[in-house]
Amino acid sequence: MREFEHNKLKIGNWHTRRHFFSRCGIGVGSLALSSLLAGESRAESLGEENPLAPKPTHFLPKAKNVIFLFMAGGPSQLEMLDYKPRLAELNGQPIPESYIAGKRFAFMDSSHRVNLLGSKRPFQQYGNNGTWISDLLPHTAQIVDELTIVKTCKTDLFNHAPAKLFMNAGTGQFGRPSMGAWVTYGLGSECEDLPGFVVLQSGPRGPRGGGVLWGSGMLPTTYQGVPLRNQGDPILNLSTPSQVTTHEQRQVIDAVRELNLKRLVETGDEEISTRINAYEMAFRMQSSAPELMDTSAESQNTLDLYGIRDPGESSFARNCLLARRLVERGVRFIQLYHTNWDHHGGPTENLEKHLPEICREIDQPSAALVMDLRRHGLLDDTIVVWGGEFGRTPMGEVRESTGRNHHIDAFTMWFAGGGFRRGYVHGETDELGFGPVSHPTHVRDIHATILHQLGLDHKRLSVRFQGLDVRLTGVDEAHVMHEALG
Amino acid sequence: MPRRLTLRPYVQRGSSKRLRLLPRCLQITISACILLGCGVQLAVAQQTGDEASSAADVSFNRDVLPILSANCYACHGFDEEARQADLRLDSAAGAAAGSDLGEPILVAGDPDASLLIKRVEATDDDIMPPMETGKSLSKEQQEILRRWVAQGGKYEKHWSFEPPQPPPVPEVVDIHGQPVTHPIDRFIQAKLKSQELAPSPIANDTTLLRRVSLDLTGLPPTLAEIDHYLAAAAIDREAAYREAVESLLNSPHYGERWGRWWLDQARYADSNGYSIDAPRQIWKFRDWVIDALNADMPFDQFTIEQLAGDLLPQATQSQRVATGFHRNTQINQEGGIDKEQFRIDSVFDRVATTGTVWLGLTVGCCQCHDHKFDPIQQREYYQLFAFFNNQDEPTLKVYGDSVSGEELRSELKGAYAALDQYIQDHLAEYEAWESKLTDAEVKKLADSAQKGLSMTRDKRSSEQMRELFAIEVGKISSDFQTLLQRAEELDNQVNGAATTLVMAERAQPRSTTVFIKGDFTRPAEEVQPGTPSVLHPLQADGELPNRLDLARWIVSADNPLTARVIVNRVWQVYFGRGIVETENDFGSLGVPPSHPQLLDWLALDFQEQQWSLKSLHRLIVTSHTYRQSSQVREDLRRIDPNNYLLGRQQRLRLDAELIRDVALSASGLLESQLGGPPVFPPIPDGVMGQGQVKRAWKVSVGADRYRRGLYTFVYRATPPPSLNVFDAPDGFSTCTRRSRSNTPLQALTLLNDSAFVEFASALQQRIEHEGIEAAFRRCTGRVPSDDELQILAGLDIKTAARVLLNLDETLTRE
Repeated sequence: MREFEHNKLKIGNWHTRRHFFSRCGIGVGSLALSSLLAGESRAESLGEENPLAPKPTHFLPKAKNVIFLFMAGGPSQLEMLDYKPRLAELNGQPIPESYIAGKRFAFMDSSHRVNLLGSKRPFQQYGNNGTWISDLLPHTAQIVDELTIVKTCKTDLFNHAPAKLFMNAGTGQFGRPSMGAWVTYGLGSECEDLPGFVVLQSGPRGPRGGGVLWGSGMLPTTYQGVPLRNQGDPILNLSTPSQVTTHEQRQVIDAVRELNLKRLVETGDEEISTRINAYEMAFRMQSSAPELMDTSAESQNTLDLYGIRDPGESSFARNCLLARRLVERGVRFIQLYHTNWDHHGGPTENLEKHLPEICREIDQPSAALVMDLRRHGLLDDTIVVWGGEFGRTPMGEVRESTGRNHHIDAFTMWFAGGGFRRGYVHGETDELGFGPVSHPTHVRDIHATILHQLGLDHKRLSVRFQGLDVRLTGVDEAHVMHEALG
Repeated sequence: MPRRLTLRPYVQRGSSKRLRLLPRCLQITISACILLGCGVQLAVAQQTGDEASSAADVSFNRDVLPILSANCYACHGFDEEARQADLRLDSAAGAAAGSDLGEPILVAGDPDASLLIKRVEATDDDIMPPMETGKSLSKEQQEILRRWVAQGGKYEKHWSFEPPQPPPVPEVVDIHGQPVTHPIDRFIQAKLKSQELAPSPIANDTTLLRRVSLDLTGLPPTLAEIDHYLAAAAIDREAAYREAVESLLNSPHYGERWGRWWLDQARYADSNGYSIDAPRQIWKFRDWVIDALNADMPFDQFTIEQLAGDLLPQATQSQRVATGFHRNTQINQEGGIDKEQFRIDSVFDRVATTGTVWLGLTVGCCQCHDHKFDPIQQREYYQLFAFFNNQDEPTLKVYGDSVSGEELRSELKGAYAALDQYIQDHLAEYEAWESKLTDAEVKKLADSAQKGLSMTRDKRSSEQMRELFAIEVGKISSDFQTLLQRAEELDNQVNGAATTLVMAERAQPRSTTVFIKGDFTRPAEEVQPGTPSVLHPLQADGELPNRLDLARWIVSADNPLTARVIVNRVWQVYFGRGIVETENDFGSLGVPPSHPQLLDWLALDFQEQQWSLKSLHRLIVTSHTYRQSSQVREDLRRIDPNNYLLGRQQRLRLDAELIRDVALSASGLLESQLGGPPVFPPIPDGVMGQGQVKRAWKVSVGADRYRRGLYTFVYRATPPPSLNVFDAPDGFSTCTRRSRSNTPLQALTLLNDSAFVEFASALQQRIEHEGIEAAFRRCTGRVPSDDELQILAGLDIKTAARVLLNLDETLTRE
């Protein structure tokens, strides 16, 4: 019964208030209680009852919010951010056996190829430290001095759904809390009229794995990600039913509150006051969520920055703008999914045509988000993460056209804001881009680092489940990437 | 004979300590010791510590073990590989053997000479546990260890591994000086009395009837049932209550309500999970559970049929269906996967689920290493694994109860043979017809018929011949028609029958090895099926023990765990918390029972009553402890704010499915048909698009739109939002306790979800016919007060109906 725990935590004020009533005799009447409660500041009553109330951190945080731009499907680092001229020279040759001995790959049985594939994209150096970036990401190239680029990310799983889950939850096992759930569980939310963890989606289909990617696992559903939808109600069941007026809706909420208060006095069950607050927040959400989605007050200049042509149209660009608006409102964890990066070389997923297309969809908005957060003074408090569940192999895959297979030993992600080092490249891969030669960075290290910046110790943020102290970083060691900070 | 129990005055200290701890508790919120969510446990270590802090005698199991296991065993425990300084503190022998540091670890009676005490009390870098573990002992915990050593430093076997002993039932008198007779009340009230607390009075009639109806059947009482009960209670309250309990236990809805309790543990859902999440058919298993519970199948048999029904001699269809329990694992259909990896994953899940559900042990921990806290080795884990590593996973066609599938199939074969014979006998007529066919006529025939005609006769299949024959020659023969009809009927029965997923033992066993760190690509030594040596020995029928032997071992009278675990898990439904609060961990990291003797008494009684769950339910709901009011009392709030002592009942928000059921029932829409394929009530648009593969959700029409929540089709990847938002489990792993969250999204669901809007307009019509008071009673069971009526009277009827369905009381079992 987690509620007992919450009750215990919130006993403070409530307890004294209740004590007061009981000494006066419960017969003092619901009216008195109701007016007293109503007279209280909303923040106070919320702080007591709301499981999403802000909570103290383990140590001083560097950042408050996270925006995770999830490139679902596994973007090819070799075409974008990990420049490998030697790989191009060896194009078409078999990969030396020493690289692949004992390794396992997806689709091992059928389409796996061992011939190296050099990238055809031209690369140039950008920024103060001359970071190599290809022509696929011209806008990202312009903000390179804001970024920590990590070229040596490593994960454990090579199939989409489990690997996505691994990136989100630190395990491939379905039914564990995702990072957003962990973070809102650990920190609460600073937003009183929107969920603490919000998910936005774009691209031709939903990400593989679906709702478990933002699930709360064994944590209460309070902490699960709430998808904001681009069509219909932004939040499920947000709109008042069509046959009900706003006035009638308010009447329902008021009458429910009054009757619930009477029951609270009658039974003394504090859970009822939590419910009263939940109804108030629900009512506020009914106006705050549409207000969030309404971008008509954003300037043309801002829309142009993101490359939003039609503000009414659902797109990754619009979702990036919404992410900034969510951070402004104090939403703790925002995750954007954009599909489909699974460029195996099939008829709709090759490196020649489809990769450049999807890069155009995400490049400008991602860079714009970082710039926009900077100019609004929000970047220092917000960690922006860009990356997918894994990368792609230095070996080519030839189906109908050219692509690459899933690769888990070294792939590239970038981080901005939230105390990450500006203009810094973390880790280098070998000349073929197969594995790390310095600073190997496991998904666990990424998780530990993000938590660390938020003021949370990855070893202490845990819950007991089936005898295990379940953590985002699991049971194996995780290391905060200190060099990439500050 | 009156018997004095040595009871710990723990609540008083617990509560005062809790106040002191409050600021720390806030910190602790984000560390391990918080209870959250399904199956997540509340490690009330501080509470256990409190209990002892002033008790004269320190008990190893109660006071010391929780401290050692949570803080020391990870490095000084059972797990050899993780062991530091060559020291183990999990056994007397280990502590006596000392460490590689030489200095004696534990000197009985002399804490100052014991390195254990020096190190935990150290103020420098020597402190144990070391800083970098993030663990530390409170002053109180240090004090407990000191006193334990001073009192002799004796170890005890962990309580749950000792068989339950028949405890003396305390003698207690009630406030009128009358002896308390119900055994549960005697245990509960003895402990309350030791705190100078009295139980609460019995709840009023309507509250009690609604409570017991919801608890036993998941449905609120109808107006007629309430009226009947009130009239009967006016004459003889006790008789009326007992009559109500019997009638509820005999209701078929009992099986639905408690079936869902079991389905949570079975991780039941209607899809394959992972990313593809295709639908599957396994609802016959769900119906099996409902039927078995309604028939009060003894729990030991219930266990054996689910774990090994296929291995029983002359296994019936029903016993095979029961083995669906362990087919509720996910199946990964993603491209490019290594199938063996996911088969192994499902076996891991079966081992962990079996351990959690029946043994209350966290055996899953040993997948990667020896258990750090409980005496189970990794090798023993893989011995358990071996029982589940030897199955094929077939799909079973399920025929009607009185029909044998085999007979049906052979009859069908016979019917086709008869048809074919008839065709043989009338070939001349047929050939005459075929030879006269014109091209134009052929073109008008079905594609399949045209294809048949294009082949020479000897190339045609019997199926094709039947089709061609039926076009004209057979059509005018009533004999042929009769044969055809019979064949089609049988075909339909055989091929249209529902299927369900079951287990079947392989003839050739797979070999099982230990996997290093649980990684299936790293096999180590080979193992044979076996059970953990800390528990009772396994008896096997054959040479190699199989699942049937395992199932019998689990429900053996020698097993100290199963009966305790199950009675505890039933108890928690009635009181919101188990006697062992960590209902899925009876191991050394779990919380010791709040009423250990009651737990043992219940476990032994359960077995004496032939494992009858209905007897257990009857026993609990007829106790005063169950029937008392849930109203919070000032003295209880002060002394036992979290109601560990059960001086009152507990208001509990209803489970997700029951919230739907109550609304359906109050609004008069409920369709109470039992069992059958899952249904598709309306859900908000766009929900199914959240998964990787967009699944269809064709809204059920007619009665199926209004079935109970447990019949709603559950896709694991895109669960029905109105169930999900009220904490219905996801079916990814076993759920032995649901969380009860209380959120704005729940409010939005009840206010705005189209299903609830529909329920509200049905309730509105009821109000129009029978008035607001009756509708209030349908929702809450009780008559509204004048104040309440006044509030409702100020609203229009539509609004009033919506208000009633949104009341906290409507959603709550009081």
